[in-house]
Amino acid sequence: MGRGTLEKLATIRRGELSAVENVQRALERIGKQNKKINAFIELNPKALAEADAIDRMLKQGEHVGKLAGLTIGVKSNINVEGLRATCASRTLENYVSTYDAEVVKRIRAGGGVIIGMNNMDEFACGSSGETSAFGPTANPAAPGRIPGGSSSGPAAAIAAGFCDLCIGSDTGGSIRNPASHCGVVGVKPTYGLVPRQGLIDLGMSLDQIGPIAHDVSGAALMLETIAGKNPNECVMLNVEKVTYADKLDDGLKGMRIGVSPNFAELTDPALMRVVDGAVEKLRDLGAEIIEVELPNIEKALSAYYLIVSVEFFSATRKFDGRKYGRRIEEVCGEEVLRRILRGKYISQKEYRGKYYQRALQVRTLIKQELMAALQRTDVIVGPTVPKLPHRIGEKISVSAMYAYDYLTIPANLAGICGGVIKAGEVNGIPVGLQVQGKVLGELEMLRVMWALEAAA
Amino acid sequence: MKVKIGLEVHQQMATERKMYCDCPTNYQDVPPNTNVCPICTGMPGSKPLPPNERAVEAAIEIALMVGCKVLTCQTIYIQRKHYDYPDLPSGYQRTSLPIAKNGKLYGVRIREVHLEEDPGQYDPTAGTVDYNRSGVPLVEIVTEPDMKSPEEARKFLRTLTRLLEYTGKVRPEAGGAMRTDVNISLEGGGRVEVKNINSVKGAYRALKYEIIRQRERLRRGGAVVRETRAYLESQMVTVPMRAKETEEDYRYIPDPDIFPLILDKVRVDAVKAKMVEAPHLREARLVKQYRIPKASANVIVSERELADLYEAVAREVDPKLAATWFRTKLKKVLNYMKLSAADIKFTPTQLASLLGMVKRKRVTPEQGELVLREMVKEPADPEKLLLRLGLIPLKKSELLAAVAGAIKENPNAVKDYRAGRKEALNFLAGKVMKLTRGRADPREVSKLLRLKLKK
Amino acid sequence: MAERQKGIERSAEEIVESFVEATKELPELKETYYSQEAYNIVRSDGEPTPAKERTEFRKRFISNMPGADDHGNLKVEVARWAGER
Repeated sequence: MGRGTLEKLATIRRGELSAVENVQRALERIGKQNKKINAFIELNPKALAEADAIDRMLKQGEHVGKLAGLTIGVKSNINVEGLRATCASRTLENYVSTYDAEVVKRIRAGGGVIIGMNNMDEFACGSSGETSAFGPTANPAAPGRIPGGSSSGPAAAIAAGFCDLCIGSDTGGSIRNPASHCGVVGVKPTYGLVPRQGLIDLGMSLDQIGPIAHDVSGAALMLETIAGKNPNECVMLNVEKVTYADKLDDGLKGMRIGVSPNFAELTDPALMRVVDGAVEKLRDLGAEIIEVELPNIEKALSAYYLIVSVEFFSATRKFDGRKYGRRIEEVCGEEVLRRILRGKYISQKEYRGKYYQRALQVRTLIKQELMAALQRTDVIVGPTVPKLPHRIGEKISVSAMYAYDYLTIPANLAGICGGVIKAGEVNGIPVGLQVQGKVLGELEMLRVMWALEAAA
Repeated sequence: MKVKIGLEVHQQMATERKMYCDCPTNYQDVPPNTNVCPICTGMPGSKPLPPNERAVEAAIEIALMVGCKVLTCQTIYIQRKHYDYPDLPSGYQRTSLPIAKNGKLYGVRIREVHLEEDPGQYDPTAGTVDYNRSGVPLVEIVTEPDMKSPEEARKFLRTLTRLLEYTGKVRPEAGGAMRTDVNISLEGGGRVEVKNINSVKGAYRALKYEIIRQRERLRRGGAVVRETRAYLESQMVTVPMRAKETEEDYRYIPDPDIFPLILDKVRVDAVKAKMVEAPHLREARLVKQYRIPKASANVIVSERELADLYEAVAREVDPKLAATWFRTKLKKVLNYMKLSAADIKFTPTQLASLLGMVKRKRVTPEQGELVLREMVKEPADPEKLLLRLGLIPLKKSELLAAVAGAIKENPNAVKDYRAGRKEALNFLAGKVMKLTRGRADPREVSKLLRLKLKK
Repeated sequence: MAERQKGIERSAEEIVESFVEATKELPELKETYYSQEAYNIVRSDGEPTPAKERTEFRKRFISNMPGADDHGNLKVEVARWAGER
């Protein structure tokens, strides 16, 4: 347990499993089960050919990247040339990507074979996986329940064993939320660590692409592959490359782990019991548990929804139906339209100060609070979601849907990293522990996740 | 009736690459949608590259050229200006906060200067868009409404064009490198903005039309509402462009994909030190430094390369003679051959040498002009050209012989002249020119004839 | 469609109202526009992208267009005001 991805890689390198075989098995499994799970919208017709090329390189002893032969799922808001980046919307239903996103270039260079485009909430506007124009995604780990969102497809694909690794995007929790509900590993990197060139925007100052994996090693591997400065992009951190893989098992002696009572105030007791259990395990492993105060943490939610709406409104002006696709307002789903209209409303000249700029001030407050807490700790742990995932099809209010994001949003506002590792279950439904780290504190975050995974 | 006219001038800057992507900027030389990439066509998920540094530098220089104060130590965000139009690939234009303010140029106050990117080219009648031009770096110069007539506006634009070309940092004028939106209000009426103007002539005509239109409206007791209109070149009229009367809300936000700029004083000073001298300042200096007439200086500074050539030549030969020649003969030859000073291939030394020959009277001014024409066609040492053209200088004895000859051969003309018919002198002079095969100096010929005929 | 839009607009405003309520007492602070703000990140001018790269992109760009003319221009709407008079 926990070394699945690395084992798989080793068997491919040893020649015991060919890349082609790996792809064939994946396609077979997808063929049998995707209709039920709906984790993939489109499959890559060139996958076998690409795998074959990897096999040839391996046979000839040529250098192959660290993802050599692994099957990769890509969320449908990331451009893969030749495949459709639909964002699970009728707006871009027929948009065939005209270029590779930077992360896709790096995955290809790393020897990863792209299996297909994952399902998602439409334009990443959701936390349940129910709003796709191509039908909802199921939760393989908790049948009948939502898988979470908006990276519903990537998380479900991993949970269903459809592929080795996936990349999703996280703006307010869209990687971590489904990772928790589906019982898999998900990481939202520090803002600016991973290039966004080729990611279709939800909120430009909040979005990050990150890995969803079976295990922490897999997530670390993917992160190493996609992270690092992109000269063809302006807003990035000045980090050339990152390495985590060989330091994950350093242990937790001396690690200062923060917990906040403010989380419990927002979360279902059943979930908190699982979280508390995980915290105890971390204490047993040698970590120091420190209490931190995050008194304004719940205000992050509404501030986020104002900011993301303004940015999303701006981002969607290009979907006017003239150059490609359809005009978004004419064909999109409710939540997408809701955010566009909200953004349009509050970014008006006369309201900017009251809403948009005020929300940016609250952002400063949240960031300050988290940074202060992280001064005294290495990481902060807690629940990922405040409540268990509801049943698919269950009608819940808009605010009830937004409420899923309470605990994940702060990390996006502050720009820090956050990862999720399964901590237990409630009535058979997975519950993930969220581990938040400092800016560029991925290593400590991953070490904590790895330790918990190993102890399971 | 009091008229207030203001201008928003959009000038393309001379760079190899576009503002936010590495596509080439030579949009007029290539087929439609050739100089394009995911960024300048607004493909889903595309993000801008860091802004083009040369464009930023050029904008600073241009701002200084128009007399503005550059805003140093201020956070200059690149903003998204949102509006819906077919030529705007992302549905917003990236436009910076002002980089400079409060300038003055030729009596017109400059409100501010900022950085922009060009949209694509939309043909409103054909209904087509070409994104080759999308993303080319622009500098926008906004004036206060200080101009009081279309003529004033036209004059300002013409001199501004020349000034901008002087910097060497802008794309050449041909085909819309400079475009202007005009705004005009008459006393008692609202401010009308006119867009879709592609030339200085167009701006002039649009303004003239608007004055007539607005004046008529007000005269009839109607109201001139605040609106945006479009200029139709083919019909030379303006038509309403936007349905709403209220100002468009562009919903500006700082672009989250581009970090802001901070221009520090050191950098601005460096630009100041390197930049070319503005033409009106150079003109004044030439007058003072070389003691030449304003009229000559004015012609000399009309092109930067011409002024550079002049100052190089003036170092080697009499500046006053040089100035006269630049204003008359050189300009004449260039105009005749449809060349600009930038096209000149001969060296300052070669021209100075020629002027020296004229000064020493080794050649006549007319001969000099012939040599000059040759020199422009094919640069060479003027002595060589003199030989090639067969313009062997005339000896004094040859001239005297020719004058004597002409007098002898044309007794009737001599009689006419002595009888008081002045034009007979021209006839005789013509005969002398013929005898000397055009090599004589007409002034010398007239002088000698008059002398000889006095007896 | 207009009814649907009105309903969505109303539900959109809910969180805006709760934001104003929740943040009433909070102090005024500086706005955070960027997670980590940096300045003067620019790139040098120079050799543009090679034509081959752009030819490939052009093909894909045109194939996504709802309409293109023979020269490769994108076909869009004719301006209402251009047709007047």
